[in-house]
Amino acid sequence: MSKNKIGRNQDIPKLSKELCLHMIKDLEKAKKPVLKALKCSLDNAFYDAKTGYLTPGEKQVSTELNVSSVQKMSRAIFYLEILLENLKSGAVRTKRELYYVAKGLCKHDKKLKPLDFGSQEESDSIINFICELIECYREEINCIANDRGGQTYSNNLVVTEKLLDGTKATVDLSSMGTSAFQPKNKPQSFTLKPKKSTKPKFCLIVESEGTANTLVANGFIKRNNAIVMGAQGVPSNAVRSWAKCISDQLKIPMYFFGDLDAYTVQNIYRTLKAGSAASLLRNSDFSCPEVRFLGVLPKDIEKYDLSDYKVDPKDPKDARTLKKAQDALNNDPFFKDKKNKGVTQILKWLLKHKRRCEQQAFIMVDPKDPIAIEKIILEKIKKGDWIS
Amino acid sequence: MTSLSNASLYASAHISFTLSFVKNKITTSSTAEYFSKNLQQVGFSSANKAVLTTLKESVDNSLDACEDAGILPEISVEIEKQGAGTHKNTDLIRLRVTDNGPGLSPDDLPRVYGEYLASSKFGRGRASRGQQGIGISAATTWAQLTSTRGANIISKTKKMRKAVSGVVEVDIKKNKGVFKNSKTISWDRPHGVSVEFFFDGRLQLNGEGGVLTYLIGSSIVNPHLKLSYKINDDDWIVFERLSKHNIEIPPAVQPHPHTMKLGEYVGHLSLFGKAPFRNFLKKAFSRVSDQTIKAFVKNGIPKALLNKAANSLSNEDIKKTFSAIQNTDVMSPSTKSVLRIGEDALSKSIQRVGDVDFFSVVSRKPKICDAKPVVIEVALARLENSKEEEKSVTVLRFANRVPLQFDKSACAIVKAIESVNWRSYGLSQPRNSLPQGPYIFAISLVSPFIKFKNASKETVDGSNELVEEIRLALMQAGQRLARHIKREKKEAELENKRRHIEQFGPILIDILGRISKVPNTRLDKARKGLMKILGRDADTTAAQLKLAEKKQAEAKIKAEERAKKAAESKTKKKKSKK
Repeated sequence: MSKNKIGRNQDIPKLSKELCLHMIKDLEKAKKPVLKALKCSLDNAFYDAKTGYLTPGEKQVSTELNVSSVQKMSRAIFYLEILLENLKSGAVRTKRELYYVAKGLCKHDKKLKPLDFGSQEESDSIINFICELIECYREEINCIANDRGGQTYSNNLVVTEKLLDGTKATVDLSSMGTSAFQPKNKPQSFTLKPKKSTKPKFCLIVESEGTANTLVANGFIKRNNAIVMGAQGVPSNAVRSWAKCISDQLKIPMYFFGDLDAYTVQNIYRTLKAGSAASLLRNSDFSCPEVRFLGVLPKDIEKYDLSDYKVDPKDPKDARTLKKAQDALNNDPFFKDKKNKGVTQILKWLLKHKRRCEQQAFIMVDPKDPIAIEKIILEKIKKGDWIS
Repeated sequence: MTSLSNASLYASAHISFTLSFVKNKITTSSTAEYFSKNLQQVGFSSANKAVLTTLKESVDNSLDACEDAGILPEISVEIEKQGAGTHKNTDLIRLRVTDNGPGLSPDDLPRVYGEYLASSKFGRGRASRGQQGIGISAATTWAQLTSTRGANIISKTKKMRKAVSGVVEVDIKKNKGVFKNSKTISWDRPHGVSVEFFFDGRLQLNGEGGVLTYLIGSSIVNPHLKLSYKINDDDWIVFERLSKHNIEIPPAVQPHPHTMKLGEYVGHLSLFGKAPFRNFLKKAFSRVSDQTIKAFVKNGIPKALLNKAANSLSNEDIKKTFSAIQNTDVMSPSTKSVLRIGEDALSKSIQRVGDVDFFSVVSRKPKICDAKPVVIEVALARLENSKEEEKSVTVLRFANRVPLQFDKSACAIVKAIESVNWRSYGLSQPRNSLPQGPYIFAISLVSPFIKFKNASKETVDGSNELVEEIRLALMQAGQRLARHIKREKKEAELENKRRHIEQFGPILIDILGRISKVPNTRLDKARKGLMKILGRDADTTAAQLKLAEKKQAEAKIKAEERAKKAAESKTKKKKSKK
């Protein structure tokens, strides 16, 4: 078992060996080996109201060995060997680096030449295939990504990270000024504790990293015992697991502050809260069901007299957004579950009124006050003006 | 009678004069005057087109003359730039076309090259290239207007001991050709005509309006033609003839009664003078028999009129007889007047377009479209080693064996190509567009009555019926092409599978062995098992390929049998005629 293994305590080398043995057994009998992987798509996704995230169904994708699939299978087994070596040695690689490792091996060994990859896309699809095959996270096979987002600010948070070599690193976020702490590889392996005697009162996840940064620059974390995090669009694996980590370890309220539009509700907020269909295997560790939607809420437009924009169904881009929102209402188990009625109502409102409003519009309430947004956020939290 | 007489006058006179109003005075201009001011209508709308139209009219005349005289055509073309033209951005072009045709007598030369609407073919119901006698006179006019030089002609008939040479000019005021500087000279050929023009133009070689596109196109649809050409300082290029059989000129046919307008009918009637009306009906039209005349009577032609003199019919009688004819079902016109290139000849000539690695040729039987006989022939050729997968196919359009080179998108032929779903035949095709790939689509339409959209004969105006007939021919050719593509795909698939077995099998087993750490004996067994599995897959594809090859061979045999039967029936017909 790998010393770097994370997550769900799976013995990847053992699983891999069993998989290969199974294939050899079938081949000895001249029987076509069939590799079965979990189907990671919306039609195999179920929303579990108790856990609060999307879980996989029973559907599987089978790949049978034949002349057409022999190249894919050979490449998968070839990659599996590389990844097992990495686990053994503790080497960590990005997908891009793995692509060059594979290319290098094919270059130096003539026998392996037929396996050579023409593009990184080909190589990435094999890595994803392996993850689905042995039901593991990419990080569990020491393949990490340069995840964006997750820039975090707080005057009351200390993060301790267990490093690959077994040593520990401790970061006190209050000592970082206006610079952010950004989790990268395996936020699940972090240990969090408050710096002060009282833990932070809440964590605010802001859709726009720019707005998160200006909130901090204008003194948000000085005045408030809180954690501020920038999501930077659709949350990456790191942002999702980092949010879960904060929620699980500190047990504080989590608020999401973002635009009022279908994309934010359907892609950013839903993914942060309940995970995604593509990551069905990982949603248990990569979602934060406790997060609440603080705004912009439809009623805020009228209440604060905010400037909003028309969504034009004749514009191809807007029309696509509206169609996707309607599809989500019809097919996405998250929006179909009554537990998420509030968010579903927002999506319906957006489809009906065809409007959208940006988070920065709150500045209009008092344009001369640099902390106008902060005041509104605090007011909303205080009054419970959010959707769970 | 007056009003109908006027109608017939207008109908038969066509565009032989125009009226112009000068200070309230009505004056009459000659046809030559009209065309000299409207040369854009007959293909001289730009400097590029001027070169192509002059070349086209000269070559078409030569081909028609040779075929009429039963001579295998041998045509040479010389085109060269000789400095700047008189207009901005033009060159002075010298274009010379020489043929081995029967030659023209000195009396005919000014009429052919210098007089508008002087034609031996107009209204004869024959599928010849030229029809009205406008084109070559327009070329002379263009040369005269831009370089002040008429057409330099050398001509010799079999009967003439020496050739005659001189310059033909158009007398624009009188629409008469004038033959100047006439002299007799020695010429190294027994008969033929050589015509040379100097004019303003711009030489475009390739593309839609290119002279090379025209010359190659002509050689495709005229496999019996020996064509040599020389452009500027380049060497002579020779296209040897692919068929030694001269074209059999189909007989001219009388017009079908349903294709005439009332005015034409009146004009036609007046030609028969005192002949009985019954004789007029039988001789003036095709497909009118005693039985048909009985049907006409049933539909309203008074029996008494049948024996009356044709020129004694009153206006009312004429109208009555005309509508009775229109309301009677008459047998479709004969298809004898159309000429086919034939699949054999087309198969040989299509290879001239370049390195062709596959072609599919379809020659449809003559068919009646809009009460007019028409024959459609299609050749689809795929070019070898071409990488133009995403470019639209090259379309070569031909009407009465003349390449059509401009205004492609408005042409009935292109509409028909776009209406076919080429994806089902293995070609990629954006919606409502031409298919894509390194293919040449050559489509020939032959009919004595082709409807062109303009006088310069660049675009065929097609009814739904005609478009459907072209579509059917294309689909037939497409099916043959699809069979070939399917076979190729299966072949490639099998090759791919065999390669995959050899390449990936050993690697897969080796790595599986390294990860699972099983002994070599088990790996050998697994290796054999893998080969069995993959071998079975390859065998299935091999069987599919065999089936595809069998189907293609069967289709080829059927096509050969059809061609054989057609040839046999042709020979039988010839014998019975003799």
